Amino acid sequence: MPLIKTVDLCHKYGGQDILRNINLKVEQGEVFALIGPTGAGKTTLLRLIDLLEVPSSGKIYFAGRDATASKRVRFQVRRRMAFVLQKPVVFNANIYDNIAYGLRWRGMAKNNIRQKVNTVLEMIDLSIPQDRNARTLSGGEAQRVAIARAIVTEPQVLLLDEPTANLDPLSAAKIEGLITRIIHQYRTTIVMATHDMAQGQRLAKRIGVLINGEIIQAGDPREVFTSPQSREVAEFVGVDNILDGVIVSQEGGMVAVEIGGNKIAEAISDYPAGEEVYLCIRPEEITLTLAKATTSARNSFVGQITRVVSVGPLSRIELDCSFRLVALVTKRSAEELGLDRGKRVYATFKATGVHVLRKD
Amino acid sequence: MRKAIYCLLSTIALLALLAGFVGCAGEFKIATTTSLYDTGLWSYLEPLFEKKENVALDIIYAGTGAALNQGKSGNVDAVIVHDPDQEKSFVNDGWGIDKRSFAYNFFMIAGPSSDPLGIKDLNPADAFKKIAEGGMKDPGKVKFVSRGDNSGTHGAEKRLWAAAGYDYAKDIEKSGKWYIETGQGMGPTLTMANEQNAYVLCDGSTFTSYKGKLALVALVKKTAAETLNVYNVYAINPDKIKTTQIAIAKDFINWLISPDVQKLIGQYGGGSLFYPITDTTYPAIPNLADNMKPVQ
Amino acid sequence: MNELLQGLIKAFELLVTLDPEVMEIAGRSLAISVTATLLAGVICLPLGGLIHFNRFTGKRTLINLIQTFYSIPTVVVGLFVFLFFSRIGPLGVFNLMFTPTIMVIGQVILIAPILLGLVIAAFSGVEKAITDTARSLGANDLQIGIAVLQEARFAVMAAVLLAFGRAISEVGLALMVGGNIKGFTRVFTTAISLETSKGDIELSIALGIILILISLVVNMVLNRLQQR
Repeated sequence: MPLIKTVDLCHKYGGQDILRNINLKVEQGEVFALIGPTGAGKTTLLRLIDLLEVPSSGKIYFAGRDATASKRVRFQVRRRMAFVLQKPVVFNANIYDNIAYGLRWRGMAKNNIRQKVNTVLEMIDLSIPQDRNARTLSGGEAQRVAIARAIVTEPQVLLLDEPTANLDPLSAAKIEGLITRIIHQYRTTIVMATHDMAQGQRLAKRIGVLINGEIIQAGDPREVFTSPQSREVAEFVGVDNILDGVIVSQEGGMVAVEIGGNKIAEAISDYPAGEEVYLCIRPEEITLTLAKATTSARNSFVGQITRVVSVGPLSRIELDCSFRLVALVTKRSAEELGLDRGKRVYATFKATGVHVLRKD
Repeated sequence: MRKAIYCLLSTIALLALLAGFVGCAGEFKIATTTSLYDTGLWSYLEPLFEKKENVALDIIYAGTGAALNQGKSGNVDAVIVHDPDQEKSFVNDGWGIDKRSFAYNFFMIAGPSSDPLGIKDLNPADAFKKIAEGGMKDPGKVKFVSRGDNSGTHGAEKRLWAAAGYDYAKDIEKSGKWYIETGQGMGPTLTMANEQNAYVLCDGSTFTSYKGKLALVALVKKTAAETLNVYNVYAINPDKIKTTQIAIAKDFINWLISPDVQKLIGQYGGGSLFYPITDTTYPAIPNLADNMKPVQ
Repeated sequence: MNELLQGLIKAFELLVTLDPEVMEIAGRSLAISVTATLLAGVICLPLGGLIHFNRFTGKRTLINLIQTFYSIPTVVVGLFVFLFFSRIGPLGVFNLMFTPTIMVIGQVILIAPILLGLVIAAFSGVEKAITDTARSLGANDLQIGIAVLQEARFAVMAAVLLAFGRAISEVGLALMVGGNIKGFTRVFTTAISLETSKGDIELSIALGIILILISLVVNMVLNRLQQR
């Protein structure tokens, strides 16, 4: 039985549909990342799961029990979860008191509280005395205190709303480290919202893609990453090459697809001939050569480089092969090959590196 | 440190809470005219009555009209007033009983020492006539300050305007900048008259007790029927106000007319402020014998 | 000028020797106004919380109404209290006219709108995320209310001090329902009013100085709070 299950969950706000028919399952001990662009409804979904609001329609089950039944039930279930908001919010009190709040509200004994708070303070590794007012902390430090405050109550479910969104890279890395430690030590079920797909991949066992209030795809991060089930998901997970095409022939699980400029690309698919499709190719799957090469790759197209953009240690190279292609290579390779604007190159990719999506 | 402050504040708060509610029962309340109050006569008599009767005496002061209203509202157990017309209605409507007069003096007219209208030693009615004429003609130079508050003094003033041949409502009230109504007690009214260098009608005792604080001088001091000022005390009719402390009220009235208190009243303030009612220098009331009978 | 100087000298004398009449009036004024402020606090803090945290039709209108009564004239409150508590009035059975108790009640009515309105404003000044955070950490409604109160504590304290200031400095109400009875319901403001009109200004000045000192202390505390 999943720990959290939503059934046809919908939510409206001021007449607008924010969430549509969310059917989600989160198993005990799982780390589930909810990824999607800003405004997709991730925060709303987390708030509903935390029972901070009553959904417009649909149900939420917690360990098989209807969590939205009554105010009392919502309160009881909510106490078994903890939520860390996107913007770090601390009470106007010192660090110790901030972390102790949740325990005090549960009527825990003073000594017990002290022990738990100290344990958790060690874990977040804050080099600031606990009697300092929390309002004087930086964003990253405040977020760590907020997380500490949440996990000290030993919740069954930890909900994190874009925990590193407002932070600088160094603080973000610290938070991610903390989350990883929490995952290993407490084995808490975690539902984490993020617009950073790579972060979702790094930390989560499963990913759900929320776009425009609907979960378009949920599953293994690798799967979502390489086999997006819709154009929107593909765009979001960083598939920079989405080519329009029509299947011209189907033979034993292999298709030939006509793409722009009378070019044919080969891919693995069961779709019939005549089907209109999208071909999704990740930019890192494309190899660039200066001359036509003899490889096992089925697809090779000649094109001209239109743009070169530096991305950290990599180079993002846009090509015009009478259709647009984007390739990602190391800067070093780009330099060695002299890949500059206007250069004529061959773009090669394997049939197995193409993900075919049916157009609807 | 913070704990200490909280403790201190809580203690203060608790004490305040208690203190605010002390002494809420068993008070004998009277309403007196401001004229009497401002002379300080009550401060003088209050401790004597409290000791004798062993009850706290609470004294509210207001103009006669307001004092009678407090009586009708049941907020006081006895009233001391000095307006014959209002008192007549008060008794006829059944509110006031056991009337006794206990003191008297005379109203006088005070004004600037320069006395621009030359009213000194005139008859009160004639003086008023001159004031009205002078005021209406030259309001910048001649002014009259009135109580304007339905008090006994105000009533006496209205009677004098009538005696001078004026219709108060039509001719005097709101007739110009020369006629100023303060709506307040005798003290503030005198102060205003002092500031404005105006003429004013005042009871003799209040004026005397303000001597030294005012630049005004007494101009018309006639002992006559139209300046007679008799102070009366009434108990509130228990048939109308069931909760009135009628027993203490009767004691209070009898105490006021008792020979000892009458003597004290006569001596108060060096003897020049009040005539006890028993002083027959002037026939203040028609039937003194009946008045001196204690109430039952 | 000479009179003023004489008055000031006499006033300092009264203060320095802790003149019993002056001390009695000062003590009573503080007792009545502090009690009124505490009572109003006990009523308005929870009520303010209830109004702030709950959604209901007419909430905006109610808050506007409360703000309208911020500066209700003291004599209007006095009239209202007089009509109700007069012996022949509906609440006359309590026999409270011209007692310190009725003055406390009147002052509570007078300062309640200010205290209530400013408490609601104080709560509103706390960001909603605090309420959400508290809820998500498992606080029940009462605990959330207290947490928000904690966050707003300085603004609330300021409101309480402001209400106290209004209570102790008003004269219309105290005069109308208290009667300025010597030794019983005489307070700073009514005493100053009476003594000044009688021309006895030494006592007035002494009382005025103490009243100003109290205002000063209240203001200093207020300032310190606002600086946080």
